[in-house]
Amino acid sequence: MRFGLSRLILLLLVPLISLPGCEQPQVEFVFSKKTNELMPQAAKPVKEALLNHFGNPFALTQFEGLPTDFGDIQGTVKSVEPSEKDQPLIRFHVTGLENTYHKLQGLPLKWTSGKGQGQVLRIKSYKYETSTVAVEKSAEITPQAGDTFLVECVRLQQGRDLYNRHCMHCHGMSGEGTGPTSRYLNPPPRDFRLGIYKYTSTKPTKKAQNADLARTVKEGIAGTYMPSFKLLTDDEVSAIVNYVVWLSIRGETEKKMVDELFQEYSKEELAERTSEEGGETKEEVLEELKDFMEEDFPDTVEFATSSVADAWEEANLEDSVVVPREPRVADTPESRERGRKLYLSERTKCATCHGPQGRGNGTATQDFWTNPVTNQKYPDRGLHDIWGNQLSPRDLHRGIYRGGRRPIDSYRRLFSGIKGTPMPAFGGSLSDQELWDLVNYVMSLPYDGNR
Amino acid sequence: MGKGWCLFFLFWPVAAVASCAMAPFVNWSFPYDNAQAASNLGIRIDGLFYLILVITAIVFIGTQAVLVYALWRSVNNREKRAMHIHGNHKLELIWSIIPGVILLFLSIYQMNIWADFRIKKYFPEAAVKAPLAEVTARQFEWRFRYPAIGKKLQQKPQSDDLYSVNELHVPFGKPVLIQLRSDDVQHSFFLPALRVKQDALPGLQIPVWFEANKPGIYDLVCAELCGWGHYKMKAHVIVESDGEYQKYLKNLTQKQFYDGLGKIASKDSSRESEAAEK
Repeated sequence: MRFGLSRLILLLLVPLISLPGCEQPQVEFVFSKKTNELMPQAAKPVKEALLNHFGNPFALTQFEGLPTDFGDIQGTVKSVEPSEKDQPLIRFHVTGLENTYHKLQGLPLKWTSGKGQGQVLRIKSYKYETSTVAVEKSAEITPQAGDTFLVECVRLQQGRDLYNRHCMHCHGMSGEGTGPTSRYLNPPPRDFRLGIYKYTSTKPTKKAQNADLARTVKEGIAGTYMPSFKLLTDDEVSAIVNYVVWLSIRGETEKKMVDELFQEYSKEELAERTSEEGGETKEEVLEELKDFMEEDFPDTVEFATSSVADAWEEANLEDSVVVPREPRVADTPESRERGRKLYLSERTKCATCHGPQGRGNGTATQDFWTNPVTNQKYPDRGLHDIWGNQLSPRDLHRGIYRGGRRPIDSYRRLFSGIKGTPMPAFGGSLSDQELWDLVNYVMSLPYDGNR
Repeated sequence: MGKGWCLFFLFWPVAAVASCAMAPFVNWSFPYDNAQAASNLGIRIDGLFYLILVITAIVFIGTQAVLVYALWRSVNNREKRAMHIHGNHKLELIWSIIPGVILLFLSIYQMNIWADFRIKKYFPEAAVKAPLAEVTARQFEWRFRYPAIGKKLQQKPQSDDLYSVNELHVPFGKPVLIQLRSDDVQHSFFLPALRVKQDALPGLQIPVWFEANKPGIYDLVCAELCGWGHYKMKAHVIVESDGEYQKYLKNLTQKQFYDGLGKIASKDSSRESEAAEK
């Protein structure tokens, strides 16, 4: 009997203990490895700037000037609930939020009229059914019936919820590509923070269009672990893409700021500068950093965000898309033969990586390559992508096309290259006719016996 | 306390029968609001289900009634002692033969349906002759390969095959056959609305046929735990009229051979573009 009772109590305790675990964890965005390698005094302003401009996953922040659909919603206070003196929150019923997203907790609420005009508060809780908003009490703001306000980042929050549900477990909370399931995957999930996407319809130097990302979400990437999310509605997909691009912008902004500081103020550099050879004292370095922070850093932040935002905006313009000047050359044996000769020629050097038979085993896979970021040789043979993963050139016989199997997809891969990988862009060096010949040859390989 | 136990043993069968009886009205029954199966074979399979349900219900209610009756009788008759019986040949024969006959009846009765569903010899000829598509299950999505319009599905991929993912279009009112494969681990092709379920095994190609009898959008889910993303391995099977199905294929052809300028060229361009326009 003793066995039964004590064990039974233990057994009952287990679900009780695990209950608090059901709450949504208040996770924060992570910072890049390079940011954490800065000396703490230099990393702090970077982190602060990011927090000010982007917030955290559960406290999103609106930052003007980004090509992001934040989705502000206007509301009006209908009535204010009377509250006790010692209650920390003040609740009020509102109108205007009925047809919008139902989860607004954590979003900034900006008063646009009344006593607190211009002030921003975080929504502490929100009940969609009764349209009740609760914010923290403060001396300056006493909401009155009829006051108007903006709830910011509603669309972004919707994207965040969908992202956290469908994408986060691989791509990570900050889009850093290290979610809990990512360790089981090869190729690893994309790290969005470089703002580089492989399969785009845009010109070589341009970023991805939102439509490209939406296509990837909907169709998945054959041959990788990225599955198709076709059952999501178009609206949901566009909310996810909106959020993913925003995560990219955050990561790129961070990178640009850190790159500005890294040369002079990394931990490693500090050690070198304060060593005997460097001959500086720590105080001198800190003094210099302080000057930089006061004079140049604001401009750096400004430039980082605006250049990233401009690049994304530009990618979505119509003339960023690669459109062939000539229609596809008829897929005849002659065209394929011309393509084959081009493939083997010195002009394209396709065979160096993809192999003379297109088996993905060219001689380049046996070389040691130089990392374009650090200018050092990779420790292992073969090609690498910009994220540092080893990358084998595609075996063209497998009939799996990660970026889509339409002729236009292959054309665009050839025209613009594959961004972030050693696959070069041929749009400038080959004519349309030649590109289409190559497309015809490459797309015929999977069906060509064993040649 | 004796009567209490009687009530206790009475309560459970009554609760079981009551919950069974109300199941169709509170959505505990067949999926999709207890809708009739969307295929004729599915309706026959449901018939089997109901037959077995009726048989087991009769047996269950009968045995429970006897149990409660026996309890009740002895509670009211405390004088009479229980007695031991060492074997009763007649009784044993009865309780062996009756279930045996029932099981034999069920196994013979369902044979036709099973054969129609699973034995290749009895598959509808039209479906076997021209398989609709190859379905490849993969962690964690469904990929489909249709033959080009007017062509037959080949074992190996062809250059003019049509591809789609997580969306299978099927004409209704006509039996179709799909070749089921798996790219990685075990999956299961489950169409709840049509009562079709077949495991997909790596290295095997398994033919599955079904005939939808009404248009609609049906769920295709994976019914074999295949990994951490099993829950999201879901697709739609879109059952539509033959005309719409042909239109879909034409559309798919056009999309797949899109060259960025809205023109379609292929190996022998006259026939291909004709096929696309048809």
